[in-house]
Amino acid sequence: MILMILFHWFFVGLTAPFLIGVIARVKALVSGKVGPSLFQPYFDLIKLFSKQCVYSHGVTWVFRISPAVTLAAMLIVCLLVPFGSLKAPVQFSGDILLIVAVLSLSRFFMIAAALDTGFSLEGLGASREAFFACLSEVALFMCLIALTLLARRMSLSGMLGADSPLSWNLLGPALLMVVASLFIVMLAENCRIPVDDPDTHLELTMIHEVMLLEHSGVDLAYMYYAAIIKFFIFGAILVPIILPVQTIFPFINTLIFAGGMIGLAALVGLVESSMARIRLNRVRNLLLIAFALAFFGLIVTLWRGAL
Amino acid sequence: MLSWLIFIPFLCALAALLPVRRIFRVWLLGATALLHASVVGAFWINRPAPEWNGYLVLDPLGLILLSIISFLFLSVAVFMIGYFQHEQRLNRTFIACLLLLLSTMTLVSVSYHMGLLWVAVETTTLFSAPLISFHRSRGSLEATWKYLLVCSVGIALALMGTFFLAIAANDVHTLFLPALLKQAPLLSVNWLKLSVIFLLVGYGCKMGLAPMHSWKPEAYGQATGMAVVLMAGGLTQCAFLALIRVSQICFQAGMSDFYASILIVTGVLSLIVPAVFILGEKNIKRCFSYSSIEHMGLLALGLGLGGLGLFGALFHMINNALVKVVMFLTAGSIAQKYGSSRVDDVRGLIRSYPLTGIFLLVALLAGTGMFPFATFHSELMIINAAVIAKHYWLAAAAVICLALMFIGVSRIALEMVYGQPTEPVLAKKENFYMNAAIAAAVALLLWFGFWLPEPLEKVLREAAALVGV
Amino acid sequence: MTTWIDAGCILIVFFALIILATSRIVGMIRIFVLQSCVLSLMPLFLHAEAVSARDVMLSLGTVSLKAALVPFVLFWAIRRISMRTEVKPLIGVGASIVCGALLIAGAFWVSLALRIPGRPVTDLGLPCALATVLLGFMIMVTRTRAVTQVIGYLVIENGIFLFAVSLFDAMPTLIEMGILLDIFVAVFIMAIVLNNINEEFEHDPGGESRAKMGETF
Repeated sequence: MILMILFHWFFVGLTAPFLIGVIARVKALVSGKVGPSLFQPYFDLIKLFSKQCVYSHGVTWVFRISPAVTLAAMLIVCLLVPFGSLKAPVQFSGDILLIVAVLSLSRFFMIAAALDTGFSLEGLGASREAFFACLSEVALFMCLIALTLLARRMSLSGMLGADSPLSWNLLGPALLMVVASLFIVMLAENCRIPVDDPDTHLELTMIHEVMLLEHSGVDLAYMYYAAIIKFFIFGAILVPIILPVQTIFPFINTLIFAGGMIGLAALVGLVESSMARIRLNRVRNLLLIAFALAFFGLIVTLWRGAL
Repeated sequence: MLSWLIFIPFLCALAALLPVRRIFRVWLLGATALLHASVVGAFWINRPAPEWNGYLVLDPLGLILLSIISFLFLSVAVFMIGYFQHEQRLNRTFIACLLLLLSTMTLVSVSYHMGLLWVAVETTTLFSAPLISFHRSRGSLEATWKYLLVCSVGIALALMGTFFLAIAANDVHTLFLPALLKQAPLLSVNWLKLSVIFLLVGYGCKMGLAPMHSWKPEAYGQATGMAVVLMAGGLTQCAFLALIRVSQICFQAGMSDFYASILIVTGVLSLIVPAVFILGEKNIKRCFSYSSIEHMGLLALGLGLGGLGLFGALFHMINNALVKVVMFLTAGSIAQKYGSSRVDDVRGLIRSYPLTGIFLLVALLAGTGMFPFATFHSELMIINAAVIAKHYWLAAAAVICLALMFIGVSRIALEMVYGQPTEPVLAKKENFYMNAAIAAAVALLLWFGFWLPEPLEKVLREAAALVGV
Repeated sequence: MTTWIDAGCILIVFFALIILATSRIVGMIRIFVLQSCVLSLMPLFLHAEAVSARDVMLSLGTVSLKAALVPFVLFWAIRRISMRTEVKPLIGVGASIVCGALLIAGAFWVSLALRIPGRPVTDLGLPCALATVLLGFMIMVTRTRAVTQVIGYLVIENGIFLFAVSLFDAMPTLIEMGILLDIFVAVFIMAIVLNNINEEFEHDPGGESRAKMGETF
C-alpha cells in the first residue's frame, strides 16, 4: 500500500512537469520559434528549490504554510486518480466529492495567503480566483454527476477505470458535452489562455500569477509544482474519457494514456496559440457555457436513462 | 381553372413590376379583379373539378371565402382608380403585392392539404407586409415590422401545429383534408389536442384574436385604407378558414368540445379586450381596428358555439368583409382628403363631404350591428346560439361588449361627421369611383339585411354542414 | 449512425444556446450559419442507409437557403451597422445562459409526457427541437434589436425544421420546399423592411429617434 502510494507520487512528480514543457514547445513551434527545452520546467523547479525564501514583515503563519498545504492537497488528490494502467491507490464510493473538496481547500489557502500579504493586487487576483472558482466548480460538479450517471459508479476510479470503459457508441452525445465542459473547466482551473495568461506579468489582468507575487524560493517552487500537478490531474481525468480504450496489456494501456496526455497538452498549446485571452467580464460567460454544457449533458443522460 | 385563377394574378403581378405608367398598373389590377370576379361568379353556377392531384379543391367554405376575396379586390380596384388621381406616390410595389396577395389568398381558399394551407397563409402574410409601409413614414415602418414579426412567429407556431397534426395522423400518413376527415378516429388524441392548440394560437395570431392582437391597431392605423380592407376583410378571414378546417377535423375526431371551449374563451377575450381599449382612442382607423378584433371574436365565438352560431359565423364572414370595405375605404378617403384620420383634424364631414359623412355613419351603424344592415342578423344569430346553448353570461357579455363598442366608435364618428370644424375646409368635388366602391358595399349590406338570397343561403347551409352540424 | 444523428440534434441546441450567449450581431449570424449547416446534414444522416433524391434536395435546399442566402441578405441589411455592434440584451448574457439551460431542461421535461407514435429514428429529435424553439423565443424576446429578432425567428424555424426532418416524412417534398422558400422570402422581406427602417432613421436629423434606432432597430 505504502509502496503503491509512493510509486504513484513518484510517477506524477516525475512526469507532470514534462506536460508543461510540451505546451511551451507547441506554443513556440506554432509561433515559429525553436522554444525552450522540453525539460525546462524541471530546470525551473530545481532552480527554485535551491533558493531561499524571503518573507515580508507583515505576513503571518497562513502565508507560510499555504504552499505546503497547496502541494499536499494536490498530492492527496493524486492518490484518488488512476493513471492509465496504474490504479489509484485509494478509491471508495463517493471519492469525487473528496476530490472537489480537497481542490477547494488548496484554493482556500492560496486565497488566504494572497489576502494575508495585504498587497492590493494580490487581493484583486484572489477575488477573481474566488469568483471564477464558484462558477467552474458548479460546472465540474455537473460533469462529475453526469459521469456518475453514465458509468453508474460513484468513485472516480470506477468511472475511469479498467472495469467500465465509457462507451462512445451508446453515450456519445452526452459524453461529448461532458468532455467539452471538462475541457473548459480544465483551462479555467489551470489558468490557461482563454481565461488567464500564465506568461503575462501585467498585474491588472492576471489571476493565478498575481497571487504568487510575494512567494519566493522554495515556497514558489511548491506553488509551481502544485499547479503543474493540478494540470496533470485534470488531464488524467479527461484522457480516459476521451480515449476509453482498454487492452489486456498494461504496457500498451500506459502508452495510450501517455500519448493521450501529451496530445492533450499539445491541444492546450494549440488553443493557447490560436486564441487571445478573453476579457475578464467574458470569462464568466465562458464558464457559464461550460456549466450549461455539463447541465445539458446531464439532462441528456437522465433522458436516456428515463427511456 | 383553379390553378389559372392562381397563376393569372401572379403573372399580372410580374407585369406590374415592369416600368410602366402608374395608371396602367391601376387598370391592370382592375382588369385582373374583374376577371377573377367573373370566374368566381361562374363557380357559383358550376363548381370546378379538383386539380393538382387533389391539392386544390373548391368546397362551399372555400367558395364563400373566394367570393369575399373577389369582391374585396373588385371594390378596392374601383376605389383605387379614384385614389390614384390624387396620389403621386409610386405604386409599383403596392400593386404588385396586391396582385400577389390576390393569388395567394385564392390559394388559401382552395387548398385542401394542411401543409399547403400553411404555405399559402404564410405567403399572404409576407406579401401583405409591404402594403402597410406604403407611406414609408416612421410609424408605418414600425407597424410593418411589428406585423411581420408577430405574424411570422404566430405562423411558425401554426407550422409546428401542422407538424403535430402530422404526428397525430401517423396512421393516416397524409395531410390531405378528405383523408384526414375520413380516418379521423385513427388520429392520436393527445397529439391532436396539442396540434389544435398550436394551430389555434398560430392562425389566431394571424386573425388577430385577443391575446395575439397587438399588431392590429398599429398595422391598421398606419396602412392605407385599401390595404386594410384586404387585410381586415380578406387575410384575417383566410386565417379563419384555416381554423374552420381544424374545426372540421376536430368534429370528425370527436373532439369538438375541446376545440369549442378554447374557441369560446379566445372569442370572449377578443370581445372584451377591444371594448376596453377603444374608449380612449382618437384615431378613426385604430378605432375601426378594434372593431375588427371584435368581429374576429364574434367569428371565433360562432364557430365555437356551433349550430346556429356556426351559420351565423359564416354569414358574418360575408358581412364582416362588406363592413370592412365601408369602414376602411371611407377612412382611407377621409385620410386622403384631410391628410389625417384623427378626430382632432377631421370635423364636420357632413358639410364638406356629405356622401363620405353618410358612409362613415353607415360604417358606424353596420360595424356595430345596427338593424337595417346584415351584420345585425349575423350577430343576432351568434348571440342567439349562445342563449340556446344556455351560456347566458356569454350572451350578456357579448351584448355589453357590443354596446361598449358602439359607444367607443360613435364617440369619434359622430364628432367627425357633425362636429364644428376648427377652420373652414375648401371642399373639393368628391370622387365618383371612390364613392361607387363604398356605395356598392353599402347596398349589399342593406340587401342582405332585408333579404338573404336563395343561392347564398344554400351555400351557407352546405358550408355549415361541412363543419358538421 | 444514431450517434451522428444524436450529436447533430444536440449541436443544433448547443448552437442556439451559443447564439443566446453571443453579444455581437455578426457573431450571431455566423453561428446561425453553422447551425443551419448541421441542420442540412440531418436528412442525410437520418436516411443514411438509403439516401433518396428527396433527402439530397432537402439538404441542398436548406444549405443554400439558410446557410448562404439568408446570411447574405442579413449582412446586406445590416451593412450600415458597425461590425462590432453589441446586441443590447434586456437581460444579461450570463443570466440568459442560465435561463437557456433551464429552458432546455424544461423542453426535455415536457417531452417526457409526449410519446411519439410509430418508430422515430432518434428519441432526441422532439426534445431538441422543442428546446431550439424555446431558445429562439428567448432570443426574440430578450434581444431588442431588429436583426436579432430576425435571428431569433430563424432559430425558431430551425427548431421546427429539425422537428420535421427528425420525426417523420409525411410531408410531400413540394410542400417542404414551399416551407423553405417561404422562410427565405420572409427573411428577404424582413431585410428589406429593416433596410428601409435604417434608411428612414438615418436621414432623420433629430437626435431622439437616432437614439431609438440604436435601441430598437
